[in-house]
Amino acid sequence: MTDAFLVALGGVTDPYTLLLMAVATFAGIVASAIPGFTITMAIVLTLPLTFAMLPMQGIAVMLSVYVGGLSGGLFSAALLGIPGTPSSVATTFDAFPMARQGNPGKALSLGLFASFVGSIISIAVLIVAAPPLALLAVKLGPWEYFALIIFALTVIASLVGDSLIRGLIAGLIGIGIATIGPDPLMGRERFTFGYEILTAGVPFLVVLIGMYAMSQLLSELEPANGGTQHPSGALISGDMRPHLWQTIKDILLKPVNVIRSSLLGVFIGAVPGAGSSISNLLAYDQAKRASKHPETFGKGEPQGVVASESGNSSTVGGSLIPLIALGIPGSPADAVLMAAIMVHGISIGPRLILDHPDLVYSMFIAMAIASVFMLVLGVILMRAFLRLLNVPKYIVVPVVLACCAIGTYTLNNRLSDLYLLACIGAVGYLLKKLDYPLAPLVLGVVLGPIAETNLRRAFQTSTDWTLFFTRPISALLLTLAVVSVIYSIYSYMKQRRLMAQRLDATSE
Amino acid sequence: MERRTTEAALIPALQLLSYLIIALGALFMAFKAGSLPASRWEPMSAGTFPQIIFSSITILCGMAIIFEFFKHGLPRTSFYIACKKLIALKAVIINLVLFTVYMTAMPIAGFITSTFIYLLTTQLYLAPRTSTNIVIATFVAILFSAGPYYLFSEAFNIYLPRAQW
Repeated sequence: MTDAFLVALGGVTDPYTLLLMAVATFAGIVASAIPGFTITMAIVLTLPLTFAMLPMQGIAVMLSVYVGGLSGGLFSAALLGIPGTPSSVATTFDAFPMARQGNPGKALSLGLFASFVGSIISIAVLIVAAPPLALLAVKLGPWEYFALIIFALTVIASLVGDSLIRGLIAGLIGIGIATIGPDPLMGRERFTFGYEILTAGVPFLVVLIGMYAMSQLLSELEPANGGTQHPSGALISGDMRPHLWQTIKDILLKPVNVIRSSLLGVFIGAVPGAGSSISNLLAYDQAKRASKHPETFGKGEPQGVVASESGNSSTVGGSLIPLIALGIPGSPADAVLMAAIMVHGISIGPRLILDHPDLVYSMFIAMAIASVFMLVLGVILMRAFLRLLNVPKYIVVPVVLACCAIGTYTLNNRLSDLYLLACIGAVGYLLKKLDYPLAPLVLGVVLGPIAETNLRRAFQTSTDWTLFFTRPISALLLTLAVVSVIYSIYSYMKQRRLMAQRLDATSE
Repeated sequence: MERRTTEAALIPALQLLSYLIIALGALFMAFKAGSLPASRWEPMSAGTFPQIIFSSITILCGMAIIFEFFKHGLPRTSFYIACKKLIALKAVIINLVLFTVYMTAMPIAGFITSTFIYLLTTQLYLAPRTSTNIVIATFVAILFSAGPYYLFSEAFNIYLPRAQW
């Protein structure tokens, strides 16, 4: 174990790797600071650059983009009042008023330090939780694995989007797309209809880039609702000094908020499908409820910024728990990380930590170092980011679309993937417009083959299908899947009832 | 049963249509999966899992159609509203067309030429036409067409498509 840790430490602290990580953290911050450019997009576009790197180096670079990206949304949230990514929606509530009151430097340094603390807490939880969970997961049979995937997909479908049924349809469409091409056990060709383009199947990264990046970028070109213009960067002026010591003192002297928000973020990150876009809002809500002065929230309250930023940054550690321990990505960004490891011929699953402990330790170390880079770069380059935020959409959208094409082509050096990208992007945009959540679809493509392999293995071992319900862990996971669906229907009906009551009250 | 205005009913009408199309597509795929040969080595054939998945999609879409009918009835929208909405999305549609042309042209014209033309055209279409914007658009198009090509070929030994002429 010590040997593996020292190998990992040596690999990650190599000066060239450190330099790459610093650049990647900076790129992550810049990418997610630009409204419309999501963290997943940034990680996807980094992937082809890691092909020529060593596995440890590549993963360290990808994680740096991830960590940087989770705090980058803070800049546009505080300085423009636009959340750069969905994970910084709650940050806008207090960071923007604080910046408008003449304290942009303080708002940014509060957010950056809270992000740093959140990341460090999440890494600590990851180190403690992932290895024992992986040891337990090694003992799971195909019944439990299949049940686990069913549970993950139902949770994702019920948490993301407005409609459970559309979430489930999207998840199943994803699994359906994954059945195109050779079957995972015997390699028999399925649903190719004689088209050569489909014989190798539909690569999940092409689906991810098409569905996520393209649909998001195309949405950016839609006319703004109500014609309201976002406030421009010029609205922000005032003290851009970070006041870092004061900020550190403020946060560390009232540690309850940052610890609560971070733990909440870790927990939400570990739940498949939830992620930073939910954790920042929940952490903010909890901070407001626990505050003695809830009326100050939304008017530039520092604790609001701390809660939101520590809540979103801590999801990174949480989301890596199921990936490292079980081999199941909880979000599209984790699915790309999984691909980055698999590109180097390393299989993901509970044996990862047993077979490649050095790689897993390097992930822990890389995340900690990236958090430090994020804090340092963020504080030093605060003023420069203000200029970067003004890059207009007419440059960002086509350039990022061209980068998507590069990313798609370099995955397999196949021109046919480009045609698939254009088709999937158009379908993804259409589905988005029709309010189908895309996260379950993308994760369905990733999880589909794992589900099929385990289901077929289970029946190869025994044809008794009742084993899915009589083996305790499998039964528990399937029960949880049913509960998550029922709970989602219950909360939807409750919401409708409340809305109807409100409408009645206003009409009276 | 709640009734909606013709404008508000557009998306539900399209959703209903999407359920129908997806259900029919899934039904077709489920039949196709059923025709895959059985395996001698395992109780489940290569077609069983896809059959379960596509049948589930069909059932869910059917349920979605029934729920929508019970909740709101048949959404009543008009072709005029749909056209109005489509015209509002002009920039998106044109960009999608440009991107598709770019993807189709890349194998023939090569990465550098196709990317340069795509970036320049799209930026000029989206940006207000001032001489400064034209200069910036040309600079960005050169930077992001030649830049990645040489970066990938020189630094990573990955060669982006070359022109076929």
